[in-house]
Amino acid sequence: MNVRSQQALGWAWLGILALCAVWLGWMLRHGLPADTDLTALLPADRQAPLVERADRQLGRGFENRFLLLLRADDRVAATRALGKALEQLVEDDRLASVDWRELDLADADPHDWMGQWRYRLLTPEWQRAIDRDGGEALVEPALRALFSPTARPDPVADPFGLLDAWLAYQPHSPIGAADGLLTVKAEGHDWSVLIGELAGSPYDLPLQRALHATLERFQQAHPDAELVRSGLVFHAAAGARQARHEMSTIGAASLLGVVVIIGFVFRSPRVLLQLMVPLLAGSLFALALTLGLFGRLHLLTLAFGASLIGIAIDYVLHLQCDRVIHGRGFRLRRLLPSLTLGLISSVIAYAAQALTPMPGLRQMAAFAAFGLVGAWLTVVLWLPRLRLHASPFTARLAERWWRLCQPRWRLHPVVALIAAGVLIAICAARLTSDDSLELLNPSPAELMHDEQRAQQLLHRDTGNRYFLVQADDTQALLARLGRIDAALDRAIAGGLEIDYQSLARSVPTAAEQDANLERVRRLYGSPLETLIQRAGLPAEVADAARARLDRAPRLTLADWLKTPLGGLQQRLWLGDTGAFQPNHDGVAATIVLEGTRDARTTARLRAIADGEPRVEFVDRVSRIGQLLGELRRHTALWVVLAMVVMSLVLIWRYRSQAWRVIVPPFGATLIVLALFALTGVPLNIFNQLGLLLVLGIGLDAGIFNVEYARQSSAWLAITLSTLTSLLAFGMLAFSATPALHYLGLTCLIGLASVWGLVPWVRPAGPLAGRKESAHV
Amino acid sequence: MPLRTLLASLLLWLPLAAHAFDLDDLHRQLAATPSLTGRFEQQRQLADLDSSLTSRGKFRFERGERVVWQLESPVEERIELTPEAIVNGSGDASPPGGEQVAQLFLQLLEGDWQALESRFELALDGDRDAWQVALTPKEPALRERIENITLDGGRYIDHLDMHTPTGDRLEVRLFDQQPLADAP
Repeated sequence: MNVRSQQALGWAWLGILALCAVWLGWMLRHGLPADTDLTALLPADRQAPLVERADRQLGRGFENRFLLLLRADDRVAATRALGKALEQLVEDDRLASVDWRELDLADADPHDWMGQWRYRLLTPEWQRAIDRDGGEALVEPALRALFSPTARPDPVADPFGLLDAWLAYQPHSPIGAADGLLTVKAEGHDWSVLIGELAGSPYDLPLQRALHATLERFQQAHPDAELVRSGLVFHAAAGARQARHEMSTIGAASLLGVVVIIGFVFRSPRVLLQLMVPLLAGSLFALALTLGLFGRLHLLTLAFGASLIGIAIDYVLHLQCDRVIHGRGFRLRRLLPSLTLGLISSVIAYAAQALTPMPGLRQMAAFAAFGLVGAWLTVVLWLPRLRLHASPFTARLAERWWRLCQPRWRLHPVVALIAAGVLIAICAARLTSDDSLELLNPSPAELMHDEQRAQQLLHRDTGNRYFLVQADDTQALLARLGRIDAALDRAIAGGLEIDYQSLARSVPTAAEQDANLERVRRLYGSPLETLIQRAGLPAEVADAARARLDRAPRLTLADWLKTPLGGLQQRLWLGDTGAFQPNHDGVAATIVLEGTRDARTTARLRAIADGEPRVEFVDRVSRIGQLLGELRRHTALWVVLAMVVMSLVLIWRYRSQAWRVIVPPFGATLIVLALFALTGVPLNIFNQLGLLLVLGIGLDAGIFNVEYARQSSAWLAITLSTLTSLLAFGMLAFSATPALHYLGLTCLIGLASVWGLVPWVRPAGPLAGRKESAHV
Repeated sequence: MPLRTLLASLLLWLPLAAHAFDLDDLHRQLAATPSLTGRFEQQRQLADLDSSLTSRGKFRFERGERVVWQLESPVEERIELTPEAIVNGSGDASPPGGEQVAQLFLQLLEGDWQALESRFELALDGDRDAWQVALTPKEPALRERIENITLDGGRYIDHLDMHTPTGDRLEVRLFDQQPLADAP
């Protein structure tokens, strides 16, 4: 490559980057289309788009709303203060609404809007009572209710209190009213309930900050008050705070470390800048192309993809070390084959993952591969043309360092093979894996505890377990839901400690509603006359009451969902399924389950689902765990495949010396895994992603170690590359976020192993057939 | 001179007269009897019916604790109202929202003006031997259920009268009231 064509290519690359920047700017004109929801990373479950829809619908309440429970000595004053402070946030457009006063949730009286349907809605108990003897046994309780001081009797519209009985049978919210405040009575205390609806996304930083500040101020003013928080916004805020905190501690420490080391070795701040240019160019290239290709980006892709691009730091360091030491003798052509091989092998490792069915991995792989290519092009095309301050100190340091690190003996391939065998045996025997959801949960324990308390105090489910029920039409669906409800009722009577929410409990099938009306007609025969007479009411009341039965419409599901009570059950209704399953036109709904969570309960629930066609039992927690496991197994498989392909490429180029290139990356991987196996650290998706980084940096080190076996510049570059990567990624081992901690831990052990292994496999003399520069 | 004396005494008496008997005094007067028993007659007049629902029985009131409503006619039933719950002797499920009605009922019987003031405008009339308190709901939502409530009595509450916007009326007469000696 002559200077002129290289110059032309450099300008062309600048043009491409400029285009990328413009394109990226255009794509980001409405903000970054980023996914934060973990499930967006997982494969679109082709068998279960309906399950995904149900998941989303059941989780929505948790995302857009938050709930505060407050206990204080002077509860009324404290709640008033907090309520007013939150209302200020509504005025500032941070929150859409806040409910905390007694009347905030007092919808119109159910008697007003349920009245017309009451003659067709009977509880099972009342059905049995009327079937037994026409309902004579219901007269006495009705009389008692008519004369209770707390009743609001209506002898014409509802002499027996049908609606009261039915409403009492409906699941009610534990939230009641006391002292004019929304209140939950639990654990012997009155807890005020404050429910907020967010005006924006729970990840919106100004919103998080405003809410946090309001609550902090409140707690400072009311130190005795106990405040329990529940809602995604608090977890998102805690995550953001933690990230900021770690950025200022771990991040600052690693940045400082890198600056000090590079400054010490090269004695020039410019090298530091030149280190950043390829990384920035690579990130820009990757961001534009990945976003263009996928349309959206997951935040995890961004985080991990950006760290994988970190491998590109190798290219810069090798090039600059060589330049500083060889000065005018520097020729890009000499380094190019190794740089290219390093790039190709890393890209192979990532490209392999782009072939997996996991959208998350595909995105990450594409991002990392594009990033590496971009960074590599920048290094090759631009760096040699940037001026470099070459300090003689660097060459002296390289020389001294090289001598210092001469191993006493060298590794024999047979020993390497035996060691590999031992390590593999350890891994096979002891390595465990962990795909639990907690890995993804960076929330502090205190917040998780609050969440549990809130659920305990409110008996509120999170929609984590449910039956997904389908049928051809609404009536068939209601019938099916009713049969499952009956099976659940039997199981609960048999000692199963669960509770459930089902639409069928509120909306009986049309046939059952008709049968109920017939029952009420029987009840309005002689039992009604007895009731009217004993209550001392005129006989005309009975006729007036009977006349109401002629205007008794059926309650449809659509009617019910439009009522304030039914609105609370909207999340159970999935509606038409045609859009999700073109072959299965119909309707679907969920029955949400809560209560005990153990193997016996799960088995029983599965059995109930199996007892009825087109019913599926879904456990979100174990489902996400399964998907994470699948993600992990896929990555592992593709990593192994990539290692095989890389080995073949290396054997083709290095023949009998190939093992020297292979030992640093593969050996480090095995050491990490064996250490995990021995210390009981389970394998998960995040330490596997860390292994990819170790493989990439290890491979580069292996290649340069063999190609430039007699050059001190290569060893200095390898040292610097592992040290800076250790600082950049290994420090993450101290993060409190499980995902970053595992990534960091892997890098810490893996990169240190790479660095430790390299000298032992260095060829004793120059490679046969390779022309070496005599200049050292 | 006599005029001046008169004016002076009037000026002296005016604020005193305004302070003569206020809600705090009434609260203290009622609180002097921690527990009592008596009989009641409850009459409910429904706007769209000519006749009324009338019931009679005994009651027992323990301040701050509970009121027990013992219906004798036309049905027998024991209803116990506490700030937390309604307990029926028959074990019937109480209608949803009944707790709030029970709470209001308890607050009225206790003369807990402080709690009632958060939801009602209160107006006291009369003196310690014959007083009357009129309650009007503040919030529109409550006004849809209750138009006004009147309590009157002397040493005890003798009479409760509640009107709803639909024209229904609940009248409770308490009589033969006696303090309970053994109560705490």
